[in-house]
Amino acid sequence: MPPLIIAKELSKSFIAGNDTINVIDNLDLTIDEGKFACIVGPSGCGKTTLLKILCGLEKQTHGSMLIHGQPPDPKKQRFGVIFQEDSLLPWLNVISNVKLGLELYRIKDADLIATKYLDLVGLEGFEKYYPHQISGGMKKRVAIARALAVDPEIILMDEPFADLDAQTRSIMQKELLSIWSKLNKTIVFITHNVDEAVFIGQSVSVLTKRPTKVKTTVSIDLDYPRSRLSPPFISYREKILGLLQEEISSL
Amino acid sequence: MAVFVVAWQAVTMMMNSPFLPTPVQVFQAFLKISTIGDIDGYTLWWHIGVSLYRVLLGFAVAIITAVPLGLLMGVKPLVKNFASPITEIVRFIPPIAWIPLSIILLTGINRYIFLLWIGIFFPILLDTIAGVKRTSETLVNMAKSFGADNNAIIKKIIFPSALPEIMNGLRVGLGVGWMCIVAAEMMGGEPVGLGRLILKYANLLQIDVVVLGMVVIGLIGLAMNYMLLSGERRLFKWRVEIKA
Repeated sequence: MPPLIIAKELSKSFIAGNDTINVIDNLDLTIDEGKFACIVGPSGCGKTTLLKILCGLEKQTHGSMLIHGQPPDPKKQRFGVIFQEDSLLPWLNVISNVKLGLELYRIKDADLIATKYLDLVGLEGFEKYYPHQISGGMKKRVAIARALAVDPEIILMDEPFADLDAQTRSIMQKELLSIWSKLNKTIVFITHNVDEAVFIGQSVSVLTKRPTKVKTTVSIDLDYPRSRLSPPFISYREKILGLLQEEISSL
Repeated sequence: MAVFVVAWQAVTMMMNSPFLPTPVQVFQAFLKISTIGDIDGYTLWWHIGVSLYRVLLGFAVAIITAVPLGLLMGVKPLVKNFASPITEIVRFIPPIAWIPLSIILLTGINRYIFLLWIGIFFPILLDTIAGVKRTSETLVNMAKSFGADNNAIIKKIIFPSALPEIMNGLRVGLGVGWMCIVAAEMMGGEPVGLGRLILKYANLLQIDVVVLGMVVIGLIGLAMNYMLLSGERRLFKWRVEIKA
């Protein structure tokens, strides 16, 4: 089966005043359908730009990005994007926030679907609460419910757990894995936490420093649930940390 | 408040001028004008009603012109560059300066609506633009990632996000409008309105009614401001504000 996401010789630059900033240069990446793919890279290397190109929020300057053979367009394909920053609408309550994606895609039975996904992420009973009344972890769960509710082809997550405390982060990682195994979606997960990447990803692509490309992709051949203490886990983590360290120290 | 009234009484006793009324005299004027009416027979309530009616009409016209234009100018740089040179110059002309032109060119309620519109339009426009500019890019990107087109983004993201600023503009605008109406009524030809009441009795040197008019204007302005403010507070509970 051909891969779902194919990026070939992808390049992206921005013009700022008189300078041209090359963010992505000659990036090749393929991700198969149904896979949980992690992307790690040094801070500021262009991970978020890559994610934006993946869902059609930005267009590349050169090269190609194809999803099912088409350039990404959120009006034509369904994406579920979870941003790093808080992206809930503060003037809507929890269930209205989850219904937003459904309304934009004109999906019927929004109430029913929204309730179902809120239950899935463990927020039963919080439908009428407002974002300012719930915790950071809960807000992230609402964002996940909103993304899942539209039944997207691909779920894109940009350091979604970076703002959470260690405990909540760990819980969310396990819950995400459980949701993924139930729904079988393709997930592209960006993080700079190598431990997290090895814990949840089936593959970890390491990006170089800016202008970024894929340095290498490491396939994680471990069954779920994974133990952070097992020797193979530790060796994967050390290997990827080493690769990442090479990029960071050459900054 | 009580301190103020006492201080007022003290000042009048000190100055002892026939032209500075005491609080008691003003209250008596209130009783007279609100029941029997002024020299033309119009009661205080009639004056208040007419002034309010004019202001609210001008207010409505200002809202339906300023908010859409503000949204458009905030979202489309082209529109802003096109409209800015005009708005930036006109907004510095005080409404009072428009009075002579409006007397020549317009009559009756149209004159009032125009003068009010000139005063109320600009605070609303500017605050709407500011509100739009404040919209979080993350929220716009989020909506786009769900396939939202420009109309949906303005309706579901930009407008609700800018609403606190817009409402602030409305409140400021209403205050300006209330002040404009008094000046407009003083210059105009109609026999009714709080501004006209003040002028009538100033010409008669009956300052107790003049002060009554001023007090009423101030109190109504306060009441309108307070109503909008509590409306804002209730609507915008979701805004995390700095507790002063």
